[in-house]
Amino acid sequence: MQKILTAQATEGMVLAREVEAPDGRVLCGKGTVLTSSLILRLQQMDIPSVTVDGHPLEVAGELTIEAELQAIEARSSRVTSTPPLMYIKKKIMERAVAARHA
Amino acid sequence: MEEEKRQKFRQALRDVKNLPTLPAVVMKLTKMAEDPDVTTEQMGRVISKDHILGAKLLKLVNSAFYGFPQRISSLQSAIILLGFSVIKSLIISASIFEFMEDNDRELWEHSLGCAVVCNVLARRLAVSDPEEISTAGLIHDIGKVAIKMELAQEYREIEAMVHDRGISMREAETEVLGFNHAEVGGWLAKTWNLPSKLVEPVAMHHNPAGAKKEKLAAAIVHVGDIIIRGMGLGHGEDIWVPALAQSAWQLLKLTAADLDEILLEVEEKLWEVKGFSLDIMAEFEAKAD
Repeated sequence: MQKILTAQATEGMVLAREVEAPDGRVLCGKGTVLTSSLILRLQQMDIPSVTVDGHPLEVAGELTIEAELQAIEARSSRVTSTPPLMYIKKKIMERAVAARHA
Repeated sequence: MEEEKRQKFRQALRDVKNLPTLPAVVMKLTKMAEDPDVTTEQMGRVISKDHILGAKLLKLVNSAFYGFPQRISSLQSAIILLGFSVIKSLIISASIFEFMEDNDRELWEHSLGCAVVCNVLARRLAVSDPEEISTAGLIHDIGKVAIKMELAQEYREIEAMVHDRGISMREAETEVLGFNHAEVGGWLAKTWNLPSKLVEPVAMHHNPAGAKKEKLAAAIVHVGDIIIRGMGLGHGEDIWVPALAQSAWQLLKLTAADLDEILLEVEEKLWEVKGFSLDIMAEFEAKAD
């Protein structure tokens, strides 16, 4: 899933999370397929961002999963003898992999 | 390091000439807070005279790092819910982070992220004032902002050392200045008369064993900084997860199962924080149009 600006949304994208109005009211549910009229309405209501399924937008500078795992490995490289931090590292890697498939 | 030079740097940071001056409203509120006859309603009115400040405060108060289940729509209830010292440090952060949003987006996101982790940890450990700990997380690196603003040349030198020698930012700071950003943040927080619940975690976030009164708060911010760096929201070329202080870790008594849940919860809340930055981006684009 990916969080994008409402201005970047296009028809056919599927909501991965419900969209809430600033007052907390739910405007559309998870699983809703975006249409151009719906996107327009969200923009008119000043909803700044939505979360959609998959990873439809390429973000400049975003890493491939291999590079991301390498980066996690690199930043943990000075605490390899601290068991709790190695556990956290392992979990973060698992979540990174899972996030790409969700 | 000659003591003289060190004193000079210290003085420059203490004077904080370039830091946004504390809004007059903080002074006024501090006075009001000491007066037992002043109501929170009156204080709320003083803040809301500055519309931008009022709006910013409510946005911060309602963001993921405080995790209130319902929306807080008035400054008065924000003061009651969060307490005066949190509101005060939020007003200070709002003015300081204004600089960061434009000049150092990465540090801003690292700070927001750290506040989120601190909030999740504080709630799980059922501390009595999770909002103060989140706030400590939000301002923990405020010393970096001060160094960057007041000692720009030395800051560049520090960055170059991190780049060339692969050392951590705080090691480079100690070499160049004779002290690190955590200590600077502690001085600033003290100068602003923030309570020790905020001063100690900021000053001791790399050395939580040094905390005297607020050991648990310091331990939470220390671990919060480590976790958010592990998750990739770090700052600058000092990419490394900092060393974990055993004493702090033992104080938190977290199990593997706790950690699993904490990471999930943080990830969930970070989505909202990402939205926070996206909101800012959207505002920025709207202004540019």
